[in-house]
Amino acid sequence: MNLAMQFYLTTLLVFLGVNVLACWGLNLQFGVAGVINFAFVVFQAIGAYTTAVLSMGPDTAYGGFQHYILGNKLPFPLPLLIGTAVGALLGLLLGMIGLRRLRSDYEAMVMLVVSVIATKFVTSDTGLLNGPAGLALIPHPLASTLGLAPIDYAWFYVGLVAVSCALCYVVVHRITNSPYGRMLRAMRENERAAVALGKNVAAMRLAVFAVGGGIAALSGGLLAGFIGAWSPGGWLYVETFTLFTAIIVGGMGSNLGAVVGALLVPVVFLEGTRFLPTIGSSEVMAGLQWIVIGLLAMAFLWFWPRGIVPERRSAYAPGELPSQGSHPALPLERHSS
Amino acid sequence: MPLLEVSDLRRSFGGVAAVDGASFTVEGGALTGLIGPNGAGKSTVVGLIAGSVRATGGRIAFRGQPITNRSEMERSRLGITRTYQLSSEFARLTVMDNLLVGPKHQPGEVLVGAMMGRHHWGRIEDANIVKARSLLSRFGMADAENAYAGELSGGQKRLVEIMRALMSDPQLLLLDEPMAGVNPVRILEIESVLTALRREGVTMLLVEHELDTVERLCDAVIVMARGRVVATGGMADLRSRGEVVDAYLVG
Repeated sequence: MNLAMQFYLTTLLVFLGVNVLACWGLNLQFGVAGVINFAFVVFQAIGAYTTAVLSMGPDTAYGGFQHYILGNKLPFPLPLLIGTAVGALLGLLLGMIGLRRLRSDYEAMVMLVVSVIATKFVTSDTGLLNGPAGLALIPHPLASTLGLAPIDYAWFYVGLVAVSCALCYVVVHRITNSPYGRMLRAMRENERAAVALGKNVAAMRLAVFAVGGGIAALSGGLLAGFIGAWSPGGWLYVETFTLFTAIIVGGMGSNLGAVVGALLVPVVFLEGTRFLPTIGSSEVMAGLQWIVIGLLAMAFLWFWPRGIVPERRSAYAPGELPSQGSHPALPLERHSS
Repeated sequence: MPLLEVSDLRRSFGGVAAVDGASFTVEGGALTGLIGPNGAGKSTVVGLIAGSVRATGGRIAFRGQPITNRSEMERSRLGITRTYQLSSEFARLTVMDNLLVGPKHQPGEVLVGAMMGRHHWGRIEDANIVKARSLLSRFGMADAENAYAGELSGGQKRLVEIMRALMSDPQLLLLDEPMAGVNPVRILEIESVLTALRREGVTMLLVEHELDTVERLCDAVIVMARGRVVATGGMADLRSRGEVVDAYLVG
């Protein structure tokens, strides 16, 4: 494989890994728990910004060409870990909105507004995170320590992303395949009935906001460290819809479906369309991409609502069935009065 | 001491009193019927006891403790479990999963516990599965264990809901018209289930408007009309006293 091809491949793999992480986080919130977080990309962004400013050092080092707050030069993997934690904290904070017992469609609207406001906020204040230009020269983690050739470093980064994916997989798999995951699905199916069974839906919402937010922030931090730049144009609210489409196409509620969706929608689809001949201007092409993404989500919801890899139907190992004829008493606590 | 004591309970919606000073008691271990015409306030009373509807006046005591200001979740944790007039199964969960959501205090339902993996919560899960299977087999639904609850018939959904409530070991089971919209064969099945539960000492409050059903099943009956309790006692007794007939006529 020639060098250019290797660079292209490693870039695609990192891009895939980052999207897989994001899709797992979103799937936990939307696919499993039924929480509609249209501000999802904001969590990716805060992870990216936090990781960036905590590894870039003070902004005075750049001769005044970019301005940002909280500049610090922390050793790897601290910026990434703190970025993840900040994402989880933001999840707790925004999750509180959902505690006001908003109807889920209103909650979705609120989150969309949060996303738009966040972009406006960062774009208008240049002293905060360098405004619309965004941050550049974000150090690649461990690059100077390792001293590898660029292509070897790219492969190292693929490994770093793969390890992150493996760790996150353990987290999401354990949550979704446990009684906790079952309880989340119950909340998704009928919140009122879940409350009547004594389930703490408020705590569940906060938990999926925090865990999903943390995973999204990690994915953003990894992406920023790889690209070396991060600007508001990269986390417009429409990015959230690409991820939603990925979850819908892959299969809502399924972790494997999220991987398939991440591969098909943001990677193959968005990346693949680059190779198509340009019709009109490049802006027309970019606009068409969003339209097609929207149509893709609609088509799947209409014709294939369970997606390519549907949520697994749980089955429990057949145990001893109670023998017929000798009915055991109903397993109940009797009332003692 | 009665298990549940309701005194002067009130709830109005926009100035209209749905429940207007209802007082009654439910004895532990008994199957109590709550009857009355449409609009008598029966379902609101169930909501008020379960905590999904907040009282605008009066008090509710459970096992002698006031619970009027407790949340629905807290009341459920005290052992008050309800079913709904409209099916409220978890449609895209299997029947088994529906039942397994029932039990309280599951170590795997704590986020950290879930992350620790199956060795942490598996033992209790297995016990719950055994318990769920014994309920399924008693209710004649063992074959439906892996079916999605949303794909069941109306009557089966009702049974799933009752079983799910039973999985939580309720101290007081509130059944809001469990036979509504269920075909007659299934109604007999549900009746026999309720009879069995009553024999085993499960305390139940059954909202129903079929008087014959109530007469067959219930130990005691509370008659409501226009938000108030108009009579209590045994069904046969009430019939002879004419209050029930009156309540249905004025309602």
